[in-house]
Amino acid sequence: MQVFVAQLINGLSLGSIYVLLVTGFNLLLLVAMIIHFSYPQVVVFSMYIIWVVLQLTGNNLFLGIAAGVVSSICLNLLSAPLFQKVMRKRGEVDINSTMVLSLGIGMIITDVLSHTFNKGLPVAFPDQLASVTPLLRVGLISVQVGQVWSLGVGFVAVSAIFLILYRTRPGRAFRAIAEDPNGARLVGIPILRTGLASYALSGVLGGVTAVLLAMVLGSASPGLGEQVAHKVLAVSIIAGLGNLAGGLVVGLALGVLEAIVQGYISGTWSNAIAFVILLIVILARPRGLFGSKL
Amino acid sequence: MPSDAREALLSVDHLSVSYGHVNAVKDVSLEVFPGEIVVLIGANGAGKTTLLESVLGINAPRSGSIVFAGRQIGGVAADHNVRAGLCLVPEGRGVFASMNVLDNLLLGAHNNMRNVQSSLRRVFEWFPILQKRRKQIARTLSGGERQMLAIGRALMSAPRLIMVDEPSLGLAPIVVNDILAILKKLNSEGYTILLSEQNANKALKCAHRGYVLETGSVALSGSAERLLTDPGVREAYLGA
Amino acid sequence: MPLPLYYYLSITAVNILMSWALYLPYRVAHLHFLTVANMAISGYTAGYLVMSLHVPFGWALVVGFALGGLIGWAVSIFIGDAPTFAVVIVGFTFIFITRAVIQNLPAVGGPMGMFGLPNIGGSAASHRWIILGILYALVILVGWLIHRFDNSRLGRAASAVFVDADLAASLGINRKRLGMLLQTASCTIAGGTGVLYGFIYKSFHLDFFTFALVGFFMIVIFVGGYATQWGAAVAAPILYGVPLFFPPEIQSWRIVIYGALLILVLVLKPEGFITPRFVRSIETFLSGDRKKRNITLKEVV
Repeated sequence: MQVFVAQLINGLSLGSIYVLLVTGFNLLLLVAMIIHFSYPQVVVFSMYIIWVVLQLTGNNLFLGIAAGVVSSICLNLLSAPLFQKVMRKRGEVDINSTMVLSLGIGMIITDVLSHTFNKGLPVAFPDQLASVTPLLRVGLISVQVGQVWSLGVGFVAVSAIFLILYRTRPGRAFRAIAEDPNGARLVGIPILRTGLASYALSGVLGGVTAVLLAMVLGSASPGLGEQVAHKVLAVSIIAGLGNLAGGLVVGLALGVLEAIVQGYISGTWSNAIAFVILLIVILARPRGLFGSKL
Repeated sequence: MPSDAREALLSVDHLSVSYGHVNAVKDVSLEVFPGEIVVLIGANGAGKTTLLESVLGINAPRSGSIVFAGRQIGGVAADHNVRAGLCLVPEGRGVFASMNVLDNLLLGAHNNMRNVQSSLRRVFEWFPILQKRRKQIARTLSGGERQMLAIGRALMSAPRLIMVDEPSLGLAPIVVNDILAILKKLNSEGYTILLSEQNANKALKCAHRGYVLETGSVALSGSAERLLTDPGVREAYLGA
Repeated sequence: MPLPLYYYLSITAVNILMSWALYLPYRVAHLHFLTVANMAISGYTAGYLVMSLHVPFGWALVVGFALGGLIGWAVSIFIGDAPTFAVVIVGFTFIFITRAVIQNLPAVGGPMGMFGLPNIGGSAASHRWIILGILYALVILVGWLIHRFDNSRLGRAASAVFVDADLAASLGINRKRLGMLLQTASCTIAGGTGVLYGFIYKSFHLDFFTFALVGFFMIVIFVGGYATQWGAAVAAPILYGVPLFFPPEIQSWRIVIYGALLILVLVLKPEGFITPRFVRSIETFLSGDRKKRNITLKEVV
């Protein structure tokens, strides 16, 4: 029972991170109209930037976190013109090209990480950020600072996103474009500017996620991006591409599923089992459990 | 008859617009003077929607010019033109079905947030039903209410020229009368209106002038009374 | 034959075959990364058959093809007409699962891999000639089959689906069956190629079947041109061969260069370098007016 609760907490905190990633991905899909497969790789790159800044400033947490968020926003905004150029197809949106472009960007990021920072070796985050000493301990159940943060920040961030979407001017524009991009243009919504805003917002989410990942995992490696990316993409497909609420449910569910499997079955097979379950769901419902936008 | 001293609010001059190889609009010239209701009549595919959307700034013209309130706007993006006082109530598309009435109206004020509260009050005065249903999802509105919402949304941008694309489409005749009455009333309050219609009878009865579009070109133009009595127009467009 | 030449020729053949294996499903806009998983599964299976069960290589190769085709067919039942992103995710997921399973199976050497596979035909030299022979026979066979497909009714149907899937459906084209055909064919090719890939080195290792490999084949078809089979055929040897002449420091950045090349092509020349128009102009030149050709030659000479 204790193992179960411990793994539930693990799972929820990991799941919160998946939810943040899926939300960032969905924002780009709905408003910028791109499939950014390598969005998690951008996040991992930001983790490395955090590590570098922490090293350079003697573990100044504020600067490190700021650097992570800024780098995520910058990477997104820099890739925006590439995506825009590649998207055009006789008046319609060629979304498959954005996928291929994103895969190319991901390849570059992963390889750069394997070559440069720390000579490609995994990087570890200092205790100030990723402390492993538990906040609370009840028997086998220990709650770490990172987990509390990721649950808390995850909750706040997702709530903030929903607030933005439903109570602010840019959020209304996002929803309009998500429902009907052509109709939004006819109403006078600046598509380009609003799309760029979604790149930026997605970047903010990405930066926050990078910080949380650093706290929860304590380390980063070049291959982390790919691993996380495939899980996040699987989550978004199962939930239905573009389905924000579905992403919330499935993201948390995957986190919990992974943690439970890890708790009861040996680590090396747990990844495979999670993926097999994902595969079965995707094959059974290629368009998502809750209906997709595409 | 408008005197030559009056300056046109909208002046379209030898405009041609094409989609790829299809010439949707061919050498069209028209004018809309302040305070008028002008009607574009034409069958499906005559180019009415393309013309209106080009004026709004959705399509870049291949040749010709569009002048609105004294400024060239050919090729300018739609959101700029909306800020300058142009707006379009699109055919069947003016409303975001998944969003509620209030959000739809607020979207109309996207480029005019400074006056949003007063604009909202005015729209609710015009359309009390919208105030009553302001929290309702647009999908649950009736056809007539949706059209009112679309017009209200256009009003939120404090427009100088309201373009309406086929307001009667899909609506019951009684509702069509209501909508046209609303447009007439808006016109009497000073809004200039350019509307396109397949069913010309009712539209011409509210308008000052009209243009007949056939396969992308202006076939005929003149005052509304003249068009109403023209035998060719009667035959082709003034059915039942 | 010198060893580097053997490796270059054999790997180039593998690259051409795998790029073609990716080219086929992409005719209907499917990026079928499952093929790399097929390479691994068939390869390791064949390796195991030959090493531990002493099955003759020929039969192991056949099993490799058949296994690839079977898996491809079974999966295509579900994703024959799925949207592109679903096909991509299924492929990636399969690769993950395959790698995880192989890593944990001691029978196929686990993370260490399988090595010391026997020479086919007795000697190291005969092994190399046989492998090269089979590879290039396959290149000719598969190339010819794809050529026949592209110029057939099915090939034209595939082009229609690529341009506008809904319109194609309304014309009576069965998207799912076409997708299943292309996916099954592609996985069959991939399975056999995976077997041969390992036997080039007489070993199998997980590092052979990575996501970087997926990326490389994808870049070959996009840079070469995804609309014709010649794009992959020309781009594969060049994209693999040219970096071999770079100094080692630059070679280690190979993947970044590939990625940058992909992005440049997508932005500047989205159809790739070898486009259908280019191919047609070469065809008219080759088969064209005798008079025109003679005049041109005379002018040159």
